[in-house]
Amino acid sequence: MYCISDRQIDFILNDIRRNGIELEDLQLNLLDHVCCIIEQEFEENGDFEQFYFSTVRRFYKTHLNEIEEETKSLLTFKHYYFMKKAMIISGVFSAAVLSIGIVLKFLHTSGASACMVLGIGSFSLVFLPLMATLKIKEKQGSRDKLLMLLGALSAVCICMAILFKLQYWPGANKLGLISVGILFVLFLPVYFISGIRQAETKINTIVSSILLVAGCGLFLALARTPQASYNAKRTLTEHYLRNEQLLKNERLVTSRLGAEAQQINVLCDGLKAAIIEDETGTKQPDWSNTVLSEDRSRVLNNNTEVEGMINELKKHMETYNRDVGPGHSLPLAIPLFDNNDDRTLQTLNDLVQIQLFVAQNQVPAQN
Amino acid sequence: MIYSSELIKGTLKTIILKLLKENKRMYGYEITQTVKELTQGKIQLTEGALYPSLHALEAEGILVTETEYIGKRMRKYYSLSVPGKALTKEKISEFTDFMETMRFLLDIKPAV
Repeated sequence: MYCISDRQIDFILNDIRRNGIELEDLQLNLLDHVCCIIEQEFEENGDFEQFYFSTVRRFYKTHLNEIEEETKSLLTFKHYYFMKKAMIISGVFSAAVLSIGIVLKFLHTSGASACMVLGIGSFSLVFLPLMATLKIKEKQGSRDKLLMLLGALSAVCICMAILFKLQYWPGANKLGLISVGILFVLFLPVYFISGIRQAETKINTIVSSILLVAGCGLFLALARTPQASYNAKRTLTEHYLRNEQLLKNERLVTSRLGAEAQQINVLCDGLKAAIIEDETGTKQPDWSNTVLSEDRSRVLNNNTEVEGMINELKKHMETYNRDVGPGHSLPLAIPLFDNNDDRTLQTLNDLVQIQLFVAQNQVPAQN
Repeated sequence: MIYSSELIKGTLKTIILKLLKENKRMYGYEITQTVKELTQGKIQLTEGALYPSLHALEAEGILVTETEYIGKRMRKYYSLSVPGKALTKEKISEFTDFMETMRFLLDIKPAV
């Protein structure tokens, strides 16, 4: 048996690396394999390099890195099965959780919102990307891959737009328009032009394109236009401002407020100021060109000082209600206190109403 | 007669698993030589098919490895993991069933 030297081992390893074998494990396996063959078959007085090259030539058809490519492809294939399994699990999970969410919504019980967020979130952020990745891998042509990518991107945006809309999160309309934009401007032209050129896909392409256009049309028919959104917000803002004016007028005809009522008033003013500042960026907005949104107010959920004010207001209102008795009590069943559906305009109007109740409960001032 | 690589490709995994079941732990060269000896040279595993399969089986958790230094170079020994042992039984049983089906399909009479 031939005894291979360290210098020869280095020579073989360098040659393996030079030939494009990058996986360290594979380098070591091939090195050991070649060394074994040399030890068994090489004769002492032979030409080492020539023997080595003729040995390693038996390993491949055109190039040594075929082995590495084959290894990588088998490893990817393994990921392929894992991804497929993950896709099916996430798909079943999303469908189940979303269905539970819908049932809870119709039963009007708690947990509906959480289930729908989880269901739509996992569907659009796990299932759809996995499905797109697998389909992209399966497709051969770059145009098909691009179509699959654009389709998946658009589908994710549509799902997220619906989720944002359901949760009154800001940006829902923008996401919806982006998704329809991707579908109409990018996906549809590429899909239509590439499909209609081939006789076997021509009819399918036309039918699918019509369905897509009809689907997008129905989606857009349901969606509120940016101008209509602005007008609706303008109207609701004006309602709020009129309520504020009513409160101002009411205060003119009421006597001095009691200590509890004064606390409630101060806290309501403080909360309104915080919401308006967060929404408009200023404490004193120019109301002629400012509109408030119907989205959830960020400051009500992410500010500890404001959360403290809400808790304090609730306590004062409970004390106030005990003092004034039934018939004059303030409404405690408002979204602001259940921390679930606190939208900007609704909360502002609720706070003004509390102040109006307080003002109207006072004995009218004598002229 | 040396069998074609197309024939061997579909059975390579089963061959590796069966050999490791019998021999506990083996390294790449040893596997090729054992197969050659057992089949009297009729099956010759190529390096280009053997090592990608070994790496894939390792990545799937079917094989476990341990390394040993032989002078300056490192040798990687492969052996069956617990799920690998179960898979080996499954693969052999599947292949036996496949052979029976092929025998029936090709109408091969047992040699007298």
